[in-house]
Amino acid sequence: MSEQGKKPLRVIMIGAHPDDSEYYAGGTAALWAARGVEVQLVSLTNGDAGHHQKGGGALAGKRIEEAARSAEILGASSLVMDFHDGELEPALEVRKAVIRAIRNWQADIVISHRPYDYHPDHRYTSQVVQDAAFLVRVPNICPDVAPLEWNPVFLFFADSFRKPVPFQPDVIVDVGPVMDKKIRSFDAMECQVYEWLPWLDGILDSVPATKSEQLEWLWEQYAEHFERSAAQYTDLLAARYGAEHGAGVKYAEGFELCEYGSQPSREELWELFPK
Amino acid sequence: MLKLDRVLSLFMASLVGLCLGFLFLVSLVQAAERPAKKPLRVIMIGAHPDDAEAKGAGTAALWVEAGAKVQLVAVTNGDAGHQSEGGGALARRRAAESRQSAEILGVSWRTLDFHDGELVPSLEVRKAVIRAIRQWQADIVISHRSNDYHPDHRYTGQVVQDAAYMVAVPNICPDTPRLERNPAFMYFQDDFQRPNPFRPDVIVAVDRVMDRKWRSIDAMTSQMYEWGPWISDYQGKVPAGADERLEFLKARWSSWLLSWAKNHMDLLAERYGKEQAARVRFAEAFELCEYGRQLSREKLWELFPK
Repeated sequence: MSEQGKKPLRVIMIGAHPDDSEYYAGGTAALWAARGVEVQLVSLTNGDAGHHQKGGGALAGKRIEEAARSAEILGASSLVMDFHDGELEPALEVRKAVIRAIRNWQADIVISHRPYDYHPDHRYTSQVVQDAAFLVRVPNICPDVAPLEWNPVFLFFADSFRKPVPFQPDVIVDVGPVMDKKIRSFDAMECQVYEWLPWLDGILDSVPATKSEQLEWLWEQYAEHFERSAAQYTDLLAARYGAEHGAGVKYAEGFELCEYGSQPSREELWELFPK
Repeated sequence: MLKLDRVLSLFMASLVGLCLGFLFLVSLVQAAERPAKKPLRVIMIGAHPDDAEAKGAGTAALWVEAGAKVQLVAVTNGDAGHQSEGGGALARRRAAESRQSAEILGVSWRTLDFHDGELVPSLEVRKAVIRAIRQWQADIVISHRSNDYHPDHRYTGQVVQDAAYMVAVPNICPDTPRLERNPAFMYFQDDFQRPNPFRPDVIVAVDRVMDRKWRSIDAMTSQMYEWGPWISDYQGKVPAGADERLEFLKARWSSWLLSWAKNHMDLLAERYGKEQAARVRFAEAFELCEYGRQLSREKLWELFPK
C-alpha cells in the first residue's frame, strides 16, 4: 500500500443487495468521494426478489437503474452483479466473481457485511468476501484477472447482532455533513424505500405522495438509526475527533477491521478513512 | 459301564478343553482391547502440503519416538501455491517435497487431491476425510480451527468437525468400516480472535526435535524459498546455498514459532514445571474440539508426548 500513497485511494463496498452499501456506508462513501477517493458500490445480487408486486428480470432492471442513480448522488461508481436475490450461496462461482471485482477495482479497502447479519444473502456475501481476502493475491486463482500486488484492508459494516460476538468498531466516521446526500441516495431507490420496505413493515399507508413530503418522511424513517450509531460509540468518536467535536456528532457510521487481509495499526486505519 | 465311563471322561475332557479354549480366547480379546498395548494412532489433517508440518511436526516427531503411528494429510494437493508454476505439475512437486518431509519426521503422508484455493465444505470432501480417518484407525485427529485466515483452512476445519461423529456411523460411507471408538479431535494453534481465540488444552515442548522440524519444513522448497517469499514480498532476499537459506528460514519464522511457547507459558509451566518450562523455546499447542471423544485433561496429557 505504500506504493499506492501517491495514487488516489480505491475503495470497494460489497453489499448483498442494491441498497446495502448505500445504507451502511453511503455517508462515508460520499465523504471519500469528495476527497478524490475512487469508490465503487457493489451488490452481489440483482435484487430481483425485493418487492411485493414486481419481480424477476423486470425488477432487477429497475433496481440496477436506481442503484446507479443513488451512487451518482454519492459520487461513487455502481456495479450490480447478477446473482439471484434471496438465493445467494457461498459457492465458488460467487467467490470468484468477488475476487475478480476486487481485482478489477484495484481496491485498497474492501468493506462488506459481518457473517452474523440477519439476511442469509448478507451472511454469505460476508463469507465469500472473507474467502477472497487472501486469494485476491494468488495468481493461480482466477488466472484470467491479474492478482493484486498488495493485500487490501478488509472491514465490516456495522450491525446490531450480538451472537457469537457483537460488532466492535475500529474506526468511526462523522457523516453529519453528508447526511442529506445519504438520505437523497435512499430517495433514488424508490421501489425499495417507498414501496417494498414500507410494505414489509406494514406502514405502506404512511408513505406520502409528494416528493418533498417523501424526503421528510425518509429522514424520519432512517436518520434515527445513524443517530443511535453516534450515541453508541461516543468514546470512539471522542478519540478520533476530540472530546468537543465528538460529543457533537449526530450521525455516524462505524466499521470493524476484519482479521483477514492487511492489518493496519489504528493510526494507519484512521488515516485512510475520511474525517 | 466302561463305555459310559469313556464317554463321561471324554465329555469331561472336552469340557475342560472348551473352558481352557474359552479362557484363552477371552485373554486374547482382552489383550486386543487393552489400548496400552496397541500403538496410539494419530492423523493430522492440514489444508495444504506444509500446514500439518508447520503446526504439528515437532509433536509428530516426538510421538513417533514414543512409538505412535502418525499420518499427515493435505486435503488439497497444493496446486495453486506458486507464482509461476501450477496445476498437476506443481501438485506432483509438492507431493514429492511432502514425502521427503514425512521421511525426516518418520510419519506417513497422503493428500486427498482437492484443488488448492477452491476447497468448499462439500459432502465429497467430508466423505474423503471420514474415509481417511477410518483408514488410519485414528485415536486422535488434529486439524485447523474454522476461523483461520485461509478459506481452505476454514473449510478443512469445518469438514473435519463434520466428520467428528460420522466416523462412528456405519451407514455413512459404508464402503469403509466405521471406527468403533470416536477419536479425540483437536485443533492446531492460530492467532485469530474472532469469534473466539484459540485456547490450548495441551502444549508440547518440541526443542528436542526442533532440528527435525526445521528440516521437515526446509524440504518444502517450492513453498519456503519460492512461493512464501514471493507472496510475502521478500523474494529477492532468499540466499542461494542450502545451509544459508535454512538459516534464513529459521530467522524468518522464529518470531512466529517462538510466540507459541511465550503465549501459553502458564500451560507450559503446568505441564513441565516452572523451571523446565522457562527453558522451553519452541512449543506446539493444541485445543480439544467439543465434538468427538471428550478426554479429561489428565488423559489428554498422558496421550500427548512430553
